[in-house]
Parts: sequence; C-alpha cells; structure tokens
Amino acid sequence: MDISYRWLSDYIAHDLSPDELAHALTMSGLEVEDVTRRGPASEGVVVGHVEAVRSHPNADKLVLCDVNIGTDAPLQIVCGAPNVAAGQRVPVATVGTTLRLPEDDTRVPFTLEAVELRGEASQGMICSGHELEISDDQDGILVLSDDAPVGTPLADYLATQGLALTDHVLDIAITPNRPDAVSHIGVARDVAALTQGTLRRPDVDYPHTDSDAPPFEVSIEAPDACPRYVGLRVTGVTVDESPAWLQQRLAAVGLRPRNNVVDITNYVMYECGQPLHAFDYDRLQGPAIRVRLAEGGETFTTLDDVSRDVPAGALLICDANAPVALAGIMGSANSEVTGDTTDLLIESAYFNPVTIRKAAKALQLSTDSSYRFERGVDADGQVWAAFRAAVLIAEIAGGEIDPDGFRDAHPRPQEPLMLDLRVERVAQLLGTPLTAGTLTQILSALGFGVDAAADDVLRCEVPLFRPDVRQEVDLIEEVARIYGYDQIPTPSHTRIPTHTPQALPSTTLRAQARTILTGTGHREVFTNSMLRKETADRFNQPPLGGAKDGAVVETLNPISREMAALRPTLLPGMLDVLQFNHNHGQDALHFFELGHVFRQDTDGGTVVQGYAEHEALLIASCGPVDTAAWDRTPRPADVFDMKGVVDALLRDLRVPDVAMEAVYESSDLTQHHLTITAQGAPIGMIATLAPALTADYDLEQDVCIAELDWAAVIALAAPHLERRFTPVQRFPVVERDLAVVVDDATPAGAMLDAIRAAGEPLLNAADVFDLYQGKGIPEGQKSVAFTLRFGADRTLTDSEVDAKMRAILTALQSNFDAELRG
Amino acid sequence: MLDRIDALREELTDVTLTTLDEAEDFRITYLGQRSGIITNLFKKIGQVAPADRPTVGKQLNALKQRAEAIHQEAVDRLEQAAGPAAPDVDLTLPGRTPRVGSVHPLAQTLHDITRLFERFGFAVAEGPEIEDDWHNFTALNFPPEHPARDMQDTFFVEPPEGPRNGVVLRTHTSPVQIRVMENTAPPVRIIAPGRVYRNEAISYKSFCLFHQVEGLYVDEGVTLGDLKHILRTFAEAFFGADVQMRFRPSYFPFTEPSAEVDIWWADPEHPDGGRWMEILGSGMVHPNVLEAVGADPERYTGYAFGMGVERIAMLRYGIDDIRTFYENDVRFLQQF
Repeated sequence: MDISYRWLSDYIAHDLSPDELAHALTMSGLEVEDVTRRGPASEGVVVGHVEAVRSHPNADKLVLCDVNIGTDAPLQIVCGAPNVAAGQRVPVATVGTTLRLPEDDTRVPFTLEAVELRGEASQGMICSGHELEISDDQDGILVLSDDAPVGTPLADYLATQGLALTDHVLDIAITPNRPDAVSHIGVARDVAALTQGTLRRPDVDYPHTDSDAPPFEVSIEAPDACPRYVGLRVTGVTVDESPAWLQQRLAAVGLRPRNNVVDITNYVMYECGQPLHAFDYDRLQGPAIRVRLAEGGETFTTLDDVSRDVPAGALLICDANAPVALAGIMGSANSEVTGDTTDLLIESAYFNPVTIRKAAKALQLSTDSSYRFERGVDADGQVWAAFRAAVLIAEIAGGEIDPDGFRDAHPRPQEPLMLDLRVERVAQLLGTPLTAGTLTQILSALGFGVDAAADDVLRCEVPLFRPDVRQEVDLIEEVARIYGYDQIPTPSHTRIPTHTPQALPSTTLRAQARTILTGTGHREVFTNSMLRKETADRFNQPPLGGAKDGAVVETLNPISREMAALRPTLLPGMLDVLQFNHNHGQDALHFFELGHVFRQDTDGGTVVQGYAEHEALLIASCGPVDTAAWDRTPRPADVFDMKGVVDALLRDLRVPDVAMEAVYESSDLTQHHLTITAQGAPIGMIATLAPALTADYDLEQDVCIAELDWAAVIALAAPHLERRFTPVQRFPVVERDLAVVVDDATPAGAMLDAIRAAGEPLLNAADVFDLYQGKGIPEGQKSVAFTLRFGADRTLTDSEVDAKMRAILTALQSNFDAELRG
Repeated sequence: MLDRIDALREELTDVTLTTLDEAEDFRITYLGQRSGIITNLFKKIGQVAPADRPTVGKQLNALKQRAEAIHQEAVDRLEQAAGPAAPDVDLTLPGRTPRVGSVHPLAQTLHDITRLFERFGFAVAEGPEIEDDWHNFTALNFPPEHPARDMQDTFFVEPPEGPRNGVVLRTHTSPVQIRVMENTAPPVRIIAPGRVYRNEAISYKSFCLFHQVEGLYVDEGVTLGDLKHILRTFAEAFFGADVQMRFRPSYFPFTEPSAEVDIWWADPEHPDGGRWMEILGSGMVHPNVLEAVGADPERYTGYAFGMGVERIAMLRYGIDDIRTFYENDVRFLQQF
C-alpha cells in the first residue's frame, strides 16, 4: 500500500524525514519496503513567460522560444511541444537542474546542460506535468495560470495552489492483522503514537434530517453479510476532471484519475480506509437499494465489462429490478457515474469480511475495495466517510447534499469489545516491566479507551477499527510495538530446562550415512519433490518402492503440469540430475539423496490418513568408478560396486540380518535387481536400470541404483546405535584357501552360505577371492576360490581346522557337485 | 707402533676433503682393503709384543674409527652439496586421487543450524510433509477464511471444502510444533528442520519448495527477552559476532507479539552501502495455539521462530539464485 509523505502530513504534524519516517514505521510493525521520491531531484525549476515563439530553421517539429525567467535577457529554449504559445506562463527547468525523466517504467535522473539542438542553442527545458511528476499529462507542456509570478521557484508557486512539486511515496507491506493501517489516517495514527503527536482527522458536518419520507429505500435481506449500509444522496453535481491537487495525490498512491466523483470516492478510501461507491442516482430503479445474497446461477457484468457468474453466497447490491454492484468488489456500467450524471447515491457500507473474501476468491477478482472489506473496515466509519465524500463532492463538483437523502440501515450494530490488561502480564510476556502510565498513554494514542479497573488492571475499550485485537495478548503486542522491540532488553542470562534432550536416531543415522556415502565418493543432491503425473506413474511400479503400492499423490492446484504430482520414489529426480550433469560434460556420476516420497494409502495407520509418506535413500552411479590415472583405465561402475556400497552402509549402521536376493527377470525399469531384506522384511533394492529407460535420459552407460526405505532402516538401526565392546580375539587366526570347480550356473552366494553353515563355529569369515573360467577348466564350468579364516578363543590345532575344511568341502560337493581344484 | 699411530692421528687432524674423489682417495689411502695404511697396521699387530697388544689394538681401532668418521662425514657433506642421486621413481607423477563425495550445501546449513540449537538444549523433532488443515493452519490460529491464509500460497492435495477442511503440502514447519505439543506437556524445547512447499512463481528468489527450521520453547516464565537472546545468539553464530540485527514487529497468526529479524548485509554496490535482509520470523506463542494443544496459556508462555534455510545458505555462501540448489550441477556441488 502506497502512502504519500505529504498527504500523510495533513493528519499528523511530525518532524521526521521520509527515511526516518520509514524507519519508525518499520520498527513499529508497518514494514516500509521502499521509499520512492517523486518530482525533480533538485531545485531549479522556475516559472517562465514565453515572450515569443519562432520557427526553428532546421526542424519542422521544433520551435524556438524566448522565455523570460526574471533574468536580464530572455533565454532561448528549443521546444517540441505542440501546445507551446507566446504569452504562456510555463515551468522552466534551468541549466543544471536534475529532473527524473520517464524511461520505460522507471525514472532516470537527467541533468540539463546548455546544448545545441539542430544547430540552435537551448538553455533549458519547458516541462510537461509528466516530466515534473506532477501529473500523467504527457501531451504537452504544463501551462500555468497567467498570474503565476515569473522567476519564482515552481515549488513555491505550486504550494500556493495546494500542489507539491516533490513528494515521497512509502510502500508499506500491510500484514493481515492491520486493516486499520490501509489508509493515510490509519498510518498517521501510528505516527501520532510513535511521536506523541496528535492525530488530526478532518472535521465533517453531517447535515441531514431523519426524514419519514426518504427519497429512496434501503432494505437489507442479508444482515449478517451486510451489517450496515449507509446511502447518501448528492444532487446537482457536474462530473468533470478533478483539480490538479486531487489528481496529484491519487497519482502518488498509484491510482489513475478518472473523474471528480470517482476520484473523490477513491481519495476518501485512501484517506480513511472506507471503500465507497457512487451510483448514478437517476439510473437506479425504484429508486431503491436492496442488499441480498446471490443464489447461484446469476450472471453480472462488472464495470470492467466482464460478464461474471456470481457465486452463490456472494452479496449483491440491487436496485428495484436488478443487481447494480457486486457488493464490496465492483460496480456495474448499468449504474455507473458518467459525464451526464447529476445526482449521486454514495454507498458507504460495512460488509462481512468472510462474505467478501469468499466471493472475491471465487471470482478471482481482487480490488482495492475487496482488499479492505475482507480485512475488516472500521464498523463505525461509514457515516463519516459518506459525508466526507459528499462534502468534498459538493466543494469540487458542485452539487448539494440532500438532507433528506441519508439512510443508515444498521441491522447489526457492533459493540466495542472490552478487554482487561494486567500490568503484571505485560512484564511476564515481554520480560520487562512497563508502568500502567506507559500502557495507558500508548493505548490511548492508538485510539483505545483505557480506564484503570483496579490498581494493576487496565480496562480497555477496543475501537471498532481494530477488529484484530481480540485478547489481552493483542493489547500487549500493541504496547510492545509502539514502545519499541529494540527497547525491550535482551537478558544476559537465559534459562534452559534441566532435562537433557535426546538425540533423534534419525538425525544421528542420517549424519552417519552422509559420512559413509561421501567417503565412498558420492555427492548429495536435493531434487524437486514435484514432477509430472505421467513421470510419477511411470516410476510408481515394481520393483521400485519395495513392497509398497498405492497410487501417486497429486496436487489440486499445481504450478504447471510439470509439477502436478508428488514423487513416489527419488529415482526420477536422480535421473534428471544424471542427465543434467552428463549433458554438461561430467562422466563420473555418483550421487545420493535423502528425501520424502509419497503414495496414496488405503491401509490406514499413516500420520495423515490416506497418505503414506516416508523418507527414502537413493544412491546412483553411472560412469567410471575411479578417476583416471597414469597407470589405470577407469572401469565403469556396475551392480557389484553398488552392492558393496550398500553392504558397507548397512553394516556400518548395524542393520541386523541383511539378506539380498537376486531377481534376474527384467522389468520396464530394470535389467535385473536384488531385493534387500532385514530380519525378513523388505527394506529396499539394488538394480541396474533398463537401457530403454536410461536412454530417455541421454545416458549411454549402465546406471546402477540402490533404493532404501530409510524410515525402515532407521527403525532397524536405532536400537544398535549404542555400541557394546566385544573382546578382540587374542589367539592366532588360521587362513586357508579352497578352490573348487563347479557348474557355470552355480551361484557364489549359495556356496558361501553353505561354507558358512558347514564352517560353524570356527569359521570367522569367508570370501570369494578368485573366479576363473578358461584354460584348464572344462567348458561350462568355473573355478571359484574362497579364502577362509578360522579362529576361536584358543589356539586352533591343525586337525581341528582340517576337519572343518573337510566338512566344508563335503558340503560343497554334496550341494553343488563341486570338485576340488587340483 | 704406538708412535706411528700417534703420527697418523696427528696427520688425520690436518686432512681436508673437498671433493668426493678426494674422499675416495682418502679412503683407499688409509682404509683400503689391500694397502690402506691403517689396514696394513692391523696386519702388523702380530709383531707387537703380546703385553702391548691390547693397548695397541685399542688405539688402532680408535684410529680406524676416526678415519672412517672423517670419510663418512665428507661423503655425506659432499653428496648433499652435489644434490640428489638420480631418481629411480618419478615422484612428480600425479597421485591417484580417490573419488570424493560431498554433502549438499543445504544439508550442511540445516545441520549447522540444528547443531547450534542443540547446543542450547533444543531437541530435534520431525513431521510429515503432507499435512492436514488442523496441524498446518487451524491449530496454529489461522481462522478459516482469514486473509492470513493468503500469506502462504498453498498446494492442496484435498480441497478446503473436503471432509477434513483440506489436506495440504505443509507451507511451513510450524505444524511440527502442534504435533509435538499434542504429545508432550511443557517444558517443550524443540527444533524442527524440514521441507516446505509454497505455490509461488519460480524465480531466482523463490522456488516451489524450500527448507525451514522451526524452533519452539514453551515453559513457565519464557519472555520476549528470552526470544531476543536466542535469536541474537543464532545471528552471531552464523553471521559473526559483529552482526547488526534488528528485531521488528510483524504478524504471524500463531505468535503474538510477532517479530521479524533482519540483518544488515553490506553491499558496496548498494547506494546505502548495504541493506536489511529478513532472515527469520518469530514471536511469543499465541495463547490460542497453547489452548489448541491443551496447555494452559496462563501458566505457560513460549516463543517460536522459523527461518528459511535457502535464504541463510544463500547469504552464507554468496549464492544469488535459489534454483542453483536444485540443479545439482557437479561443478556447484564440489564447492561444498
């Protein structure tokens, strides 16, 4: 909301500069986001008299003007404005003056110099209202009245006309709790409280009779939606352009001047916050005003010439026949003030904020008026605003206030809220004591009625323009913000509860996983949780997502189709990352991500019913596993690299009883994969992705991924976070190798399982150290060599180890037809 | 014999060796296997009277050691001066670099913020990203149809007109306050990091999702002064002890009084030499929020604060486009 520095000073006398004012307001809750200067950036614009206009010898569209600015000789100024003429009094920017000239949508400082234009000297510039930021008029130079004193600074002359040459506009970000501050008087009230000044609200007379025979009727059929409707008739007006001072003020706050009647209703709205509407009285049927709720199915054409479907429950202002306005939002051309209008009905109403908000939202139409009504206007401000506008209209547009033409339909009067404010409570909340005197002074300045109810309790009457103040704590905030948050001392000590917070296992385990995975050379990524619905569906299928199923979750109001669904797995985001980096010349791509994934749920038991959400971990590798070096050629990462990383990770996190089962069938997404279980329950999978999938992401090399249900991993690992020491074996370890020849298809994993079973309890570790096919091994067979470590809490004898070796060999022979390799 | 030894000892004191060749000549002259002077004396030890042999042997040994020491010292000194021997390994070849990983800058910043507050006794709490209306809005004192709901552009999963008044992607981490307090009686002192969503146009300064850290402390006797204290502590830890900050009134439905914190960010290009940057929102927990979770607002007071992690990471690392975080360019990631 724009506030004019000069306009504001109509209501409060203060000695703050624009920047000081901005700071004071910001520090009291009205955040000033920007201060913009309007008008020339320096002195030097004076009133000049055009003594003669001569043609320019070298240009058709330019003329030479002799302009007297009160100096000895007139200046020659080259001018291109069509309306310049001898005898005019005009604003002249002299050499050295800095103007802020319009350029695109902004203004750029420009300092005038003595120049030659097409060969003729020009010693200044005759300015338009637009160039001086006084008005929007760009069509020609600004012509002043004939009595403007030649040679005086323009600012001085304009001041005598009620116009300001310079102003500052403060752009205030109004928080939703401050409907009172959406006006100059509202902001001035805060300034008054901050500077201990006095708010000056213009005095307005209310000339009216309580006539029994009103010229028009007001009937309210929806009193909850329209608790108050004030109508006031003004007759005999002449609709015309607004005077310059009014146009200037509206322009300062970003409004386009229209005509004097509409401009005055806007002016009063920006003055006091009450939206007004002026109807052409003669175009109202009846004449009558009927306020009713829309039933749905009606259409209405608003002032902007758009035919709109009126949502049921929206409030309509109707005359005897038909709707004439969407209450609180916008009027209609059918009753609009035009150049021919002579009699007006000024509407000044209080509409229910929720009614207006719902209608404006349904219509997707937000106006200055709806913005104020949905926040809540002063429920006591309607009569003042109506007469304030009427008086100004009578002054500016002629006409008279019809003393019989005043209606104040007020079916739901509001009583001011009374609140007790405990002096002690203020200290409790703010941490610093404030006296009853300070509290009273601040609240009174803000318009609250304050009485001492008891020694330490203040009885406060909340003014109706502060609908946001509902409780004692709201009063405390009012006090605190004017007193100044910066004045509230920061204690040198602070209390901490005596209980020690426990580290959350998920935080600890996540940090552990990051350490491991960065150690294995993976970079962490953060990807978007939202993606195309089609993409989400493509990835929401086995074997991804473990044992979980459920449809993809969609948002009802996505930013775009590209982000219409929530990720059911981290894989699509990861593939985007691989693709992006691959296309930017990176080849060794090793990443991981921790993030939430989402599915619809029908089983129940989720935090928010209907939605299964859990944290997942995705690890991905594509491209060389090592960096290249002078003695090695990098090898592309494969599924065994991923298997090793996952194995190391789960082992380090102490996830118990991890098993992996190979699945050789391919799917739309995978070439083959391994399912991972812990204690028999699925916790994830490892896969080599299908080439058809990775090709869609421009990736030529195999992509291997591991996807873990991180929430499940945390649950399994959390009990093992606490470590217990096991004595290190002090006795010698015996290492033996065993090489066997088996059928090509015999799985090494199963052989290792058999070895471990047969080697118990002396066998401590078993691993494959060589795999060989070729010369010396029969066709269709392979040699698998195992390294075996035996140990116990004593020194093993050779015969003990020999016995175990025989048992192991026997197990391999009987289970796999293995033959000892000679 | 002993005289000869004495003479040789005397001779050795005058030896100066200035080249490796001289050192080798010296060795051959005195210590050579075949005809070294000292070697030869050892050969003649049999001719010494048996009674004198131990003395002579001892002195001869000392002489030999002395000659060896002179030679070795000269060789060491001269070899060092002559520079290294020809290498049999080229140590200038590059090392075999292991593949290195990295933690995402947002994760690092989240971690650092969380850790700082953990040092002040805050426990970490987490919550879901799909939230119901109660936790995201209503319990936090956002009345239905209040313009405050427009402060956060919301993604809906179920419409507000639905049976649960809407299911949303959480617009802030504040619902974690409610979830914790629903299950825990005061004192509550938590920090809640997590991802939040806003239906805003994507640009260099706003993304459709970002991360927040929420803090909450509810206890007897918590004041606005305490809030100022913890936030100053945070700002100093993150932006330096000389950070300039300001604490100004604002509005959030779930806190009253509410405040925003700005820090002064020096920027030589800016006409004012810098500008105030908002880093977080905060305030005293609204009594309606305490009532919504069954805590007595007369007995307990509390403060809450919430900060945008991206904003803080951008300031901290000098990143000027929020989208960079979600692009995951390796050349970006490897800088952290």
